[in-house]
Amino acid sequence: MSTTTAQATQVFSIAIRATPEAIWEAITTPEFTQRYFHGARITVVPDHYHSLGPDGSVWGDAEVFEFDPPRRLVHGWQSLYDPELAEEEPSRVTWEIDPQAGGVCLLKVTHDQLEGAPKTAVNIAGWTFIISSLKSLLETGEPLAAA
Amino acid sequence: MTDDDAVFKALADPTRRHLLDRLFERDGRTLTELESELAMTRFGVMKHLRVLEDAGLVVSRRSGREKLHYLNPVPIRLIHDRWIDKYTERRVSALSDLKRKLEEST
Repeated sequence: MSTTTAQATQVFSIAIRATPEAIWEAITTPEFTQRYFHGARITVVPDHYHSLGPDGSVWGDAEVFEFDPPRRLVHGWQSLYDPELAEEEPSRVTWEIDPQAGGVCLLKVTHDQLEGAPKTAVNIAGWTFIISSLKSLLETGEPLAAA
Repeated sequence: MTDDDAVFKALADPTRRHLLDRLFERDGRTLTELESELAMTRFGVMKHLRVLEDAGLVVSRRSGREKLHYLNPVPIRLIHDRWIDKYTERRVSALSDLKRKLEEST
């Protein structure tokens, strides 16, 4: 295993057999997010991103920079679910939904501006699990079993 | 060709695995940077990057006039879930069953 530090920009992309509207709903409404996002109830409205953990504690509370349903969402990120990570500088998450031929969309999650958040940068490798589970939920009705 | 086929095909080539390793070390590289680390023509590197992009293993982003290449770990995770977890789990549980049996009989 390499010991390089985690990157300040990380990209996660996956093809999902679903409409852009279904994917948009799945990333912005708590009924969906709690099924694939470690139980987090996430609400995204045009100017505010809010995430609650299963125990009701605040996991995320950030500004929404771009809100363009069902194609593009950009919001701030601070890992409030972990005291050590929460002290780091805020970073940014961009969701892009790009319809392809054949009823498939490409979902791309870019987590960047992580220069001031090196520990968060390591921690967010978890995006891989989250968007794989999102794909599974939308395509089969069931999320992946919790890792 | 299914998504899995494209990923296995992309991973089957040592140059492409080398490119993934380079991006794992440091993401967001241009073609010129990647080319400088390989004994290969620019055209050859482009061709390999194209196969990696088609398989979803590399995602490119424009930044001004530059095209930056990023490693996308998700397809490898899906392969892992589908093709590795399944087989290693049984192996691991076979070993833990064996351990239990051996310990029971003592």
